[in-house]
Amino acid sequence: MTGIQDRTDIEYGEAPPAVDFGSLTTAPGTAPPVVQDVTYERILDARSEPQNWLTYYGAYDGQRYSPLDQINTENVVRITPAWVFSFSPHGLHAGQSTYAFETCPIVVDGVMYVSGWDGWVWALDAKNGQLLWQYKHAIPFDVSLCCGNVNRGVAVANGKVFVCTLNAHVLALDATDGSCIWDVTSGDVRAGESLTVAPLVVKDRVVVGSSGGEFGVRGHLDAYDMETGERVWRCYTIPKPGEPGSETWPAEGEAWARGGGNGWITGTFDPETNLLYWGTGNPAPDFDGEVRPGDNLYTDSVIAVDADTGEIRWHYQCTPHDLWDYDSNMECILFEQDGRKLLAHFDKNGYCFVLDRTNGERVRIFPFVDRITWGEITPDGQVTPRIYPEQEGEEVHFHPGPAGAKEWTHAAYSPRTGLFYVPVQDTGAKVARRRREFKESIPYWGAAVTVDAEDMAGSVSAFDPSTGEEVWRWRNDLPMCASVLATAGDLVFAGTPSGTFVALDARSGEFLWQFNCGSGHHSSPTTYSVDGKQYIAVPVGWGAWVEGFLPGMMGGPHGQAMFVFSLPEGQDSSGGR
Amino acid sequence: MTSTAPERSTALSELGLDGQNQATIGRLLATGNIGHAEEGADGRMRARIRIVPDQLIWDPSVLVLPHGGHLDIEFVNDDQNTHCALVPSNGDSKWMWLPNYSRGTMSVTLDGPGYYWFSSNIGNDEGRGLIGAIVVRGDVPESARLDRPQQPRP
Repeated sequence: MTGIQDRTDIEYGEAPPAVDFGSLTTAPGTAPPVVQDVTYERILDARSEPQNWLTYYGAYDGQRYSPLDQINTENVVRITPAWVFSFSPHGLHAGQSTYAFETCPIVVDGVMYVSGWDGWVWALDAKNGQLLWQYKHAIPFDVSLCCGNVNRGVAVANGKVFVCTLNAHVLALDATDGSCIWDVTSGDVRAGESLTVAPLVVKDRVVVGSSGGEFGVRGHLDAYDMETGERVWRCYTIPKPGEPGSETWPAEGEAWARGGGNGWITGTFDPETNLLYWGTGNPAPDFDGEVRPGDNLYTDSVIAVDADTGEIRWHYQCTPHDLWDYDSNMECILFEQDGRKLLAHFDKNGYCFVLDRTNGERVRIFPFVDRITWGEITPDGQVTPRIYPEQEGEEVHFHPGPAGAKEWTHAAYSPRTGLFYVPVQDTGAKVARRRREFKESIPYWGAAVTVDAEDMAGSVSAFDPSTGEEVWRWRNDLPMCASVLATAGDLVFAGTPSGTFVALDARSGEFLWQFNCGSGHHSSPTTYSVDGKQYIAVPVGWGAWVEGFLPGMMGGPHGQAMFVFSLPEGQDSSGGR
Repeated sequence: MTSTAPERSTALSELGLDGQNQATIGRLLATGNIGHAEEGADGRMRARIRIVPDQLIWDPSVLVLPHGGHLDIEFVNDDQNTHCALVPSNGDSKWMWLPNYSRGTMSVTLDGPGYYWFSSNIGNDEGRGLIGAIVVRGDVPESARLDRPQQPRP
């Protein structure tokens, strides 16, 4: 005990009993058991129930496309806020510099499941925003986080809500009341490991990827048994000596053990190939390649992982021997063309890679941003570096900067228009190599970095996958730093860093509608319907690694709310502009 | 010039940063005593934290746990004003009133390692000094360690 003696001059009373802080709200504490019947089979066929958004990208194919069309190009101008839920940062942890609301809401039969920045999970009534229950995992204040107090979402199945925490736990919560069913310590928080990914349910497993590459951890994916939390397999993304691919790392020393390559963004899944398609992060140290000569597999790669065993079946490396912090974590959108099963990946290095997803064969490579100065990748895949931090202390400037031509936020694909819609960042950076020794849980960059705060641009750009040609572009003064959403109403929704949420015509790029949400967008909007009424939901909360992707907006309003839009009561789909 | 660690408490006192309405309006956060939780045979940890009269300070203001787990904290309010305790815990933060001259026990669950803030979140108790830290020592389970060589620590 703490050695404190009671005072004899006081007659103490009994303090009222301690309660859960969340009980001091209007939340009833329970949600309808809608997740009880969410099975793997339902998630496989997610697009057949467009009223729901059952998995991270809406469906396993990663298209971020919804068949809902009640809100369309004719009536979108009339949509207004249906409800707003404001969560508020809480206490010291979600500090001024770091938190952002990056989640992707999941909706099942009228209930929305949302994760926040510091171990928070909420269940909301998707029709009116009423808080149903909340769960808060206690996160140590001193966890090592590269890129902010963020969490990108939950997964649901078999009555459970699955979520990762910043101190590298994986949790299964009871979807009806938020109580914890199992809690697995997945990573070593002392070694700089954290978890920010939205889990992916595949069959009877929950798949998660690690974060922490900026602290020199060795990346991996884990699959956990959905019912018990037992680990079924682990897939390391950096081979250790003797394993396939280890020849791309120094034979001597421990560079492989500090190699990065974390899988911190949710992958996609093809049940026909039984492969998970997962992007991997940059090698560590980020900018000092001299301590890790070689291609550094499987960093900056798309890896195809057997969903049953965790074995890597094929890989395609987008930036061999990365010297620019060009993670390849971004989405892998599955689509078909001319009878061929393909995958499209818009990479931080400024190029889109279209691959045959059965074998990883290169089909097409094309640039999707105007300024690419770091080097060149030819259509046949030849990579030529041109500007990189080579000499100690010598500053170089290149485009795109370390945030990439597109950051972790996601592109969309509409099977109606056959186009990709990409949130583009056009920002450069100055980098000087500054060698340092690896030390546990200390940032391991190997450089001094300053990202441009001026001379920047952004756009939502539409591309034809068969040619790689840009079909239209909606320009924005600031880089676009949030995922886009495509719908069967032939709309593309996108949030800007200045706070406006916009709707564009998916066929022409025409600007149709906007609403100022009061804070920059850095999340993944979704759409769903309840009782036949379509809603568009967007989490708003500006922050996280702003100094890395848009330092010119570091002082922008933080915000912390879920905005949900719909057509006004009595307004049907026939309303015109 | 900066003070060395042994001189720190003296310097804080001389500057008036360890009490109310001296150099600053309130005291600097977590400048108070350090205490240790005790682990019982049942595996639960226990501690007692007091609010000192007219000082707006938790005593101890830094509570050290040997590892993560379940902790029972008895809060004792010796002050002549009402305060409260808001303490992080897995599932939800725990909260209790602490009227003048009251005592009560709160049970929380924390993962290790790392440190967590607790406070009295009424009025501006937090800004005036009623913020403390719970420090959880130890390591994560062996099953959660990376497949790696020995890590050099800073």
